[in-house]
Amino acid sequence: MFTRVVFAEAVKSLKVYFFSTRTLFWALALPLGNGLYLYFLYLPFATKSVDLQFGATTYTIDLVGFTIIGQLLYSFFTMMLLAGASFDAERWQGTLEVLLLSPASRVAILLGGALANAVNYVWMLVALVLSWVAFIHVGIFVTDPLALCGSLLLSYSAMMALGMCLETVDVYSRRGSIFTAWLQEPVMFLSGQIFPLQSLPVFLLPLSYLLPLTFGLMAVRLTLLGGASIYDVRMPLATLASMTLIFFILASLLVNYAERRAKTKATLTQF
Amino acid sequence: MFGRKSTTVIRALDQVDFEIQDGELFGLLGPNGAGKTTTVKILCTLLEPTSGHAFVKGYDVIKDGGHVRKIVNMVAGGERMLYYRLTGRENLKYFADLYDVPKKEVTTRVNNLLELMGLSDRADDEVEKYSKGMRQRLQVCRGLINDPEVLFLDEPTLGLDVNIAKDLRNFIREKVVREQGKTVLLTTHYMYEAEEMCDRVGFLSKGKLVAVGKPEELKRELPSGFSIELLVTRATEETIGSLRQLEPVKKVIETDYEGEAEGEKIDRLIVNVDSDKAVPQVLSHMANKHCRVVSFNLRGPTLEDLFMFYTGEK
Repeated sequence: MFTRVVFAEAVKSLKVYFFSTRTLFWALALPLGNGLYLYFLYLPFATKSVDLQFGATTYTIDLVGFTIIGQLLYSFFTMMLLAGASFDAERWQGTLEVLLLSPASRVAILLGGALANAVNYVWMLVALVLSWVAFIHVGIFVTDPLALCGSLLLSYSAMMALGMCLETVDVYSRRGSIFTAWLQEPVMFLSGQIFPLQSLPVFLLPLSYLLPLTFGLMAVRLTLLGGASIYDVRMPLATLASMTLIFFILASLLVNYAERRAKTKATLTQF
Repeated sequence: MFGRKSTTVIRALDQVDFEIQDGELFGLLGPNGAGKTTTVKILCTLLEPTSGHAFVKGYDVIKDGGHVRKIVNMVAGGERMLYYRLTGRENLKYFADLYDVPKKEVTTRVNNLLELMGLSDRADDEVEKYSKGMRQRLQVCRGLINDPEVLFLDEPTLGLDVNIAKDLRNFIREKVVREQGKTVLLTTHYMYEAEEMCDRVGFLSKGKLVAVGKPEELKRELPSGFSIELLVTRATEETIGSLRQLEPVKKVIETDYEGEAEGEKIDRLIVNVDSDKAVPQVLSHMANKHCRVVSFNLRGPTLEDLFMFYTGEK
């Protein structure tokens, strides 16, 4: 039953929330615009590459690739943060109660919604990469395709699990999506999306290491642009795998807690 | 300015205690804010009571909430509860998946429900293109998708056309209750609806259950077996007060009435009397007080009388 609900929820979410011209346009236009903005921000400094320090090794990677990956993964992360908006949407369109009236696993519903976000992201990713590669030279340097696939997959899963955690807030409160929106700017700043992590003040690094995006950016940039092997990126990959597990368990606990609390405080019908 | 808001605690339900038999159509009646929807939501696990227990088919709605959700469903009038961007058929299939309806049965069940509610020809249209009546009928299909043992209907005919509402009432009574043997809890503030449909009724007033029973039994408990429905003009407070003092009069209830006679506003009075012989005395009293009786009607008590008697509502 679990997989059946996940699939049903994912299909429904795609049909109801994503398959509209406006949504698709903005899903593509926003990261494309932001990516271009970052690229032209670096241009005046006549820089073609960026030094990424990882452990004792310094990787010199292509600047365009650095900005593209930063923007793509950040967009995905934002999408997963805003996955909370799907429960928020259920709330304002008056379907949250009927969803929770069913005996379906709440975790399956969460996962289905998050997967719909992820699926929606895939086409955006493909479109963006193709357009950037076609128009601007990107210095791709891959030596271990398995490491690259693992990095992408674990980055997505960890961010998706965190998104599921945050989504549980919307089950309890109509203010959930505002809460997730608050996280966007700090995440952009702390994750190393727009500048290498070594530029960040040391005292802020512990906060960076709480974010799956930080490790996702590390792993994907190094494996896609720096030629790193799976051994080289074992630390970020292991961290991403652990985060996936922890956030998933946390989401499972939180969604039930949020539902109980909403039913006690009668907040399911607050719009 | 930024301090914590003080909160007022409202007791939505207070010591409510009732049972519904299997296969029974039970009506929960009461004015707005009486606690009808709260009761329904507790029973279908959408709200948790702060104290007390509620059971559905012997299962505790808190401890066995998961099981209760499998055997119940709810239809609420005037609420959305459907995905407007999906078609009618897609909606039902989605909910069939949520309720784990056996895959082999989904198509047949969905088609049967759409057929029963007269929606087959529009099944593949998006719900946003449906009329209000069609959406409500689709809601009923959704409410039956898991073949629930207990169905909660919260004001199911709210805002529907007379004919559609009547068809829906017939369907619920004849198909859902009589034919399929399901237990139904109906909340409504349309008294004729409850009178037409319910085996037993309960009256909620300000969160308290003030009476439960078969309508006929409850009617016998009224202080009088007869009511005179008077439409009058020029009825002052003094006239009504003195009417209450008459020997055969047990109770006088003023109710809202929209209408005029010869430019004067008509008031509607329900006068409970202990005998049909009281009619001449009441009429002559009104005439002596210079009221004009537009019409009068002597009848046995109705659910509306019971409603007003138990809830004190006009």
